[in-house]
Amino acid sequence: MYLVAHIDQAICSETACRLCTQYCPEANTILYDNAAKTAFVAVDRCKGCEICVGICDDLAKHHAIKMIMITDLKDTFELSKEGFRPESWTGKHP
Amino acid sequence: MSFKNMTITPGWEKYMTKEYVDLVERGPYGKQKKVSEMGSFKEVLEEHPMCAGCAMTLFIRLTMVGLPNPEHTILIGTAGCGRLALTQTSIPFIYGNYGDTNAVASGLKRGLEVRFKDQAKDVVVMAGDGGLADIGFSAVMHSWFRKERFTTIMLDNEVYGNTGGQESGMTERGALLKMAPKGKLFDKMDMIGLAQTSGVAYIARLTPTNPTRVASVIRKAVMIAREVGPTFIQAYTSCNIEYAIPTPKVLDDARDIESKRYGFMEIISDEAKAYLESIDTSKKAKKQE
Repeated sequence: MYLVAHIDQAICSETACRLCTQYCPEANTILYDNAAKTAFVAVDRCKGCEICVGICDDLAKHHAIKMIMITDLKDTFELSKEGFRPESWTGKHP
Repeated sequence: MSFKNMTITPGWEKYMTKEYVDLVERGPYGKQKKVSEMGSFKEVLEEHPMCAGCAMTLFIRLTMVGLPNPEHTILIGTAGCGRLALTQTSIPFIYGNYGDTNAVASGLKRGLEVRFKDQAKDVVVMAGDGGLADIGFSAVMHSWFRKERFTTIMLDNEVYGNTGGQESGMTERGALLKMAPKGKLFDKMDMIGLAQTSGVAYIARLTPTNPTRVASVIRKAVMIAREVGPTFIQAYTSCNIEYAIPTPKVLDDARDIESKRYGFMEIISDEAKAYLESIDTSKKAKKQE
């Protein structure tokens, strides 16, 4: 099993920094829901490098991202299943 | 290859590939996207097989956001890590033989200028330090001497990362690597100085620590290459495997190296500066209209 980044959306939606979406080396992996004002992770694309954790903790100082074992996540968002449909994202990501 | 030349007949969009439709409707095809919008638009870079936490991947991703017209761009690369991600973009990629990237780009750019007189087509060479400073050195220098109008981007990871860690011309003196166990005996090549000597119109040195700056530098370099002359970007994109950097520390390392010896640097020729100013004034005039 492996670790993936998980964003605490209660903390994230309070801010509007969007830094993790800019520093992730993977394309369209940390996505941003403009309606719910929060970032979230497409787990099928996350390689678990933890760069976003460092950015959120040290640069943004929001401490909203943690690495979590993929099996411990109940609902996950997978981009390959959902497709790139920003208008339908709200409510689909845990 | 071109958004302007090929528009889908109304009603037939549903038969196009999902990626194409996404790029037109929710991506950067036909409209410039900003770094601050990342995460909410479809990117030209797709899933790719590069290592987790690779700084080079981050730089390539930001480069794709910075390109002024991805639908009018052609990428040229060669063997090396960068091509693993570059081939996974929705931009035509030409896999040059080792050593001839800039020669291929020269011919291609000239051909495109003849074929598409009324359109700006951008040619961007993206290859590693080995591909450009060692093996492709001669073609790189000659393309600069000839003032060929395209952008050369060096993904400088200071090692041959793809083949087991041999030293390259761009490796720092004294660096210990798997295939350089005694440490490198010679200094890092001064490509910035060489670019200056050969009259490159726009030269930049940077690290991926500031995403907005990466995108704006790429944009400037590509725009100047359209009208003025050759442009060169040298980017520090560490190899976390060969230099044994834990992935959560990749950006700390980039910041550290940036502060020590890889600070942001921009050298613009007078002609290029005047061209950039003319773009700005025409943009402002358009906004006022």
